[in-house]
Amino acid sequence: MFYQFITGPLLWLSFGIFFIGLTVRVVNYIRGLDWQADRVAYRAHLSLGIKGALQSIIHWLVPFGSVGWRAKPLYTIIFFVFHIGLVVTPLFLQGHAVLLKERWGLNWPTIPMPLADLLTIGVIVGTVCLAIRRLALPEVRIVTTAYDYFLLLLTVTPFATGFLSVYQAPNPGDIANFWIYAHILSGELLLVAIPFTKLFHIVGYFLSRGQLGMDFGIKRGYKAKGGFAW
Amino acid sequence: MPEGILCNKTPVNTKEQLDAVLADKGGKKYYEEMKHLDVDVEKLQKSLQAGFKSRMRTWLEMCAHCGLCADTCFFYLANRKDPTQVPSYKILSTLGKIVKNNGKVDNAHMRYCMDVAWSKCTCCSRCGSFCPYGIDMGIMFGYLRGLCFSQGFVPWELKIGSGMHRIFHAQMDVTSEDWVETCEWMADEQQDEWPGLEIPVDKAGADLMYTLNAREPKHYPEDIAEAAILFHIAGENWTVPSEGWEQTSLTMFAGDWEGCKAQVQNVYAAIDRLKPKRVMGTECGHAHRATVIEGPYWVGRKDGRPPVPYLHYTEWVAEALRTGKIKIDPAKKIKVPVTLQDSCNYIRNYGLKDVTREIMSYLVEPGYFVEMTPSKEHNFCCGGGGGINGLGIYRPQRNMGLKVKRDQILATGCKLIVSPCHNCWDAIRDLEEVFELGIKQTFLKPLLIKMAIIPEHLKPKEEE
Repeated sequence: MFYQFITGPLLWLSFGIFFIGLTVRVVNYIRGLDWQADRVAYRAHLSLGIKGALQSIIHWLVPFGSVGWRAKPLYTIIFFVFHIGLVVTPLFLQGHAVLLKERWGLNWPTIPMPLADLLTIGVIVGTVCLAIRRLALPEVRIVTTAYDYFLLLLTVTPFATGFLSVYQAPNPGDIANFWIYAHILSGELLLVAIPFTKLFHIVGYFLSRGQLGMDFGIKRGYKAKGGFAW
Repeated sequence: MPEGILCNKTPVNTKEQLDAVLADKGGKKYYEEMKHLDVDVEKLQKSLQAGFKSRMRTWLEMCAHCGLCADTCFFYLANRKDPTQVPSYKILSTLGKIVKNNGKVDNAHMRYCMDVAWSKCTCCSRCGSFCPYGIDMGIMFGYLRGLCFSQGFVPWELKIGSGMHRIFHAQMDVTSEDWVETCEWMADEQQDEWPGLEIPVDKAGADLMYTLNAREPKHYPEDIAEAAILFHIAGENWTVPSEGWEQTSLTMFAGDWEGCKAQVQNVYAAIDRLKPKRVMGTECGHAHRATVIEGPYWVGRKDGRPPVPYLHYTEWVAEALRTGKIKIDPAKKIKVPVTLQDSCNYIRNYGLKDVTREIMSYLVEPGYFVEMTPSKEHNFCCGGGGGINGLGIYRPQRNMGLKVKRDQILATGCKLIVSPCHNCWDAIRDLEEVFELGIKQTFLKPLLIKMAIIPEHLKPKEEE
């Protein structure tokens, strides 16, 4: 019963909040852009703007694709291992695809289990590295708040619990299926939290990077051949 | 005490006010009054509502606190990696707090904001180009300066600077009459060496209208003569307006947006009146930013562009060299190691890196031009941008910041620096004063005059 509920209505609710929440954020962001306040003539030079936005987004989406990433090689590796694992694992996990097949008969592409394990370990190790970095580096420590650790914990929990359930770790306090329940619930909590926290950067990244790309494409870098060298 | 006599929320709009603030040498009384200045919370809230929109709101909210911006900032590096110099910390602890508290902040916080906005950031926007999210703290500090100005928390010199623009339409007390007289004087002075040289004032329909920095007529008018000589050599059909000639904007440094708008309108009115085909400015970074890059937005031009093409001085020089209007004597090309200072305002924030390098290719013997590291759009601020060069109370902070540029210059091994920007030029001059490296720097104009081939018909006729 409980399993049915948390993988049924509760899952739907979580996805609903996730998608609607993010849509609202995107719409609000774009509606809040103001050519005069931002001092970027978005409409007048739309094609220059789109070109600039794409350049800016793509350079930073590719590992070592930007001057900034190349300046921080170790961080860049941790960052991409962490993020690739975060995005790829839940989307293409065989265990998740099975659900789609059972419920809707959908043939969803999957990745091999050993790869999923590797990516998950990457996420967990990445989380630890990011947390250590927050403690160790004075320039990061000064801007770090408890909220930043909370978000790391919120993000890593579904991965850690999922991993433990796959490998059938002993259930604490003899609660049957503890890890799988913890995995599902923490995953749903993460989905719900994304639109309301900094984690909304899963769309916010594209908006903000795109906006600055437009700024440089339309106004601040349009005189440079090939645009701003991100 | 809610409002001071000198330090208050009202911008300087009259000669009397200006004289009163000027008479307070170094701003002693002014800063004393600032300690008691009230914060108008309601006004702050209204400003936030009107101007703090999704772009900046998202920046502040989304900042991942990753600290990657730290060593993109020359102040952070120059201050031995002091964590309070991390750009994200600087903006979160100032503007971030104002936003979080919805404007309910006290006098001490506003004075802290002023210190950070003017002595710990030059609005060079280098951090913005290294943030994965593209969070541009230079832009946000510009915005914060506006909030500070509207509440009266602005450095003394910039209260004066804004007043100068409001009264004289120039950053210094140079009237139209003074300006036109200086032009006539400079043209006369050159007649022996450059017979027939003119500085045409208010000529309608010229190919080119020239705008400049009030410091040139006020402190070094030879710069105007040099500009005129180069136009003369190039055979340019040019003019200067009697009104609307001042291109700079201390109002921008001050965060006085109303003043910024008036300043740009004054220049655009001259364009409208004289209808030149193109306009160009002098070797100045912030003037270009104010009049060409941001200016169109301040006056509400929806295309974000000035009314006619508006060149930076370097664009004109590159064109003149490319088309052969000015020819360089190959024997006079620079044959010592020389480096180039990329000005944030027209390189990082406008994209003229190729143009300046094209110029160097004409002026420098191959093999002698050395790039700074980093360079182009990723170059460090000279250390004197954003108005800090002129701020007495922040002189120690400014001098500390110069260390990064000093080390960049030393690393090139060059003793000669081409710096086509007034602010960079001043910063590097002061850098030499402070650190005595034995370096020389130059604007483009004197270099070009020394190196150009003078057409026969322009040379003075031998006396019989």
